[in-house]
Amino acid sequence: MDVIQIKNFKKSFGTNLVHDGVTFDVKKGECLGLVGGSGAGKSVILRSLIGLEQADSGSILINSVDITHMSEKELVEIRKKIAYVFQNGALFDSMTVFDNLAYSLRAHTQLNESQIDDRISVQLDEFGLLSAKLLYPSELSGGMQKRIGLARAIMLGPDIILYDEPTAGLDPYNTIKIQELILRMKSKGVTSILVTHDMPTGIAVCDRFVFLQNKVISEDGQTEELLNKPDSLINQFIKGQIV
Amino acid sequence: MKSKTWTTTIPDDFKKSFEAFLIHLGGCGLLIKKFFSEIRTKPFYFSLLVEQIYLIGVKSLPLIIITALSTGMVMALQYGFGLEKFGGKPYVPRLVASTILREMGPVFTSLMLAARVGAGIASEIGSMVVTQQIDAIRALGTSPIKRIVIPRVLACLISLPILVAICDVVGNLGGLIVGYYELGLDPQFYLRRVLDTSNIQDYAVGLGKSVFFAIFIVVPACYFGLNVKNGTKEVGLATTKAVVTGSLLILIGDFFLSKLFWIFDKWM
Repeated sequence: MDVIQIKNFKKSFGTNLVHDGVTFDVKKGECLGLVGGSGAGKSVILRSLIGLEQADSGSILINSVDITHMSEKELVEIRKKIAYVFQNGALFDSMTVFDNLAYSLRAHTQLNESQIDDRISVQLDEFGLLSAKLLYPSELSGGMQKRIGLARAIMLGPDIILYDEPTAGLDPYNTIKIQELILRMKSKGVTSILVTHDMPTGIAVCDRFVFLQNKVISEDGQTEELLNKPDSLINQFIKGQIV
Repeated sequence: MKSKTWTTTIPDDFKKSFEAFLIHLGGCGLLIKKFFSEIRTKPFYFSLLVEQIYLIGVKSLPLIIITALSTGMVMALQYGFGLEKFGGKPYVPRLVASTILREMGPVFTSLMLAARVGAGIASEIGSMVVTQQIDAIRALGTSPIKRIVIPRVLACLISLPILVAICDVVGNLGGLIVGYYELGLDPQFYLRRVLDTSNIQDYAVGLGKSVFFAIFIVVPACYFGLNVKNGTKEVGLATTKAVVTGSLLILIGDFFLSKLFWIFDKWM
């Protein structure tokens, strides 16, 4: 069953046409790698999937529900089920790590403070970041911020996770940590889309890749299949032969 | 190539400026509409409102006290020495009180708040946009209007009239100090003149204006902050625009509001 369906998606900013009929889908439990050169508009697709950008035309279906023309109020229910992991964590810098993680629990659940505390402690322990509970984002390293960003995104137990370059600029240790977290979420049956330039991570976690080029999806295939095809766009991209 | 003359360039510049003005006006109007539509629905973040009242109101207090004190003192000094040759010193309390209550209190307090709070709000929100914190608020299923705009607008609407009231008192106190030490007026006489000659309308006009001025400060600040697009450079521009727009609205709006309140005065 397709959890995400994007059909003939078109988007432009002013006179700059970014997408001219992007079409692809993601099956339940699948981890899809969305790859393409810088400025190809990968993040725009992710943002549109959660309603942060509006499509000019085409449709975006989440669990067969078209979200393209939903109002902000209607999107709230969709957003509770979709986690968005921002490239730089996008943590609230005026709040501690605890308050960042408690944010969606306070907004969308009836849990009391002690239950919230318990749940956050478990989550942080799982992520190996329990010691950072009372720190502010400015006191954390880039890698820790990204991991906290991921932890915050999944507090409500989402069905879908959208990762926007989660390993960009990270050292190997933090990259592997993020990879492990993505695989852990995948093992729980969560559907996900990973936007990345970090191909080793993409290959390690993605079941399938779509390649965004010239404003449309130019290639779509299973990871193994594409890697075994020497002239595939993904292989050319890895070798630096195309952007 | 034909060189551009002032006759061809000015209309284009004017057209662009006018377009930008209309866009900003519409944007502020939409923001006010969102404010009214979202304030009626749950949840209401009371703790954020209290936090903003502290940041906007309480933290502005020293600035407002210094401004009010020096304004009152300077006015008493100018009126006192100016009227001395006509034997008009006894009118100083009335003149200082009336000017502070109706004009200087609300205008100076609001200008100070536009500089301090308007700039702060625009830069804070702009930075949140650049670092995707506003996107994160939306992505986590909550509303930036509820969490960011409503607490700031309400805090400004609550704080500014209170600050103006404090400014009124401190400004008159400044006048009294100068009246006593520089003009040789008896403090009891000064105080009695202030209380006897100021009427409820004088207080109401100043406080009434401050409600409008609060909107003039906070709405453009939130609007310009939320509309930062391309990085940190625009945060600075948004801050400048917020302060300039807020200050101009206060100064221009003061004329029309003064006129409006005079009409009300005549009715009453």
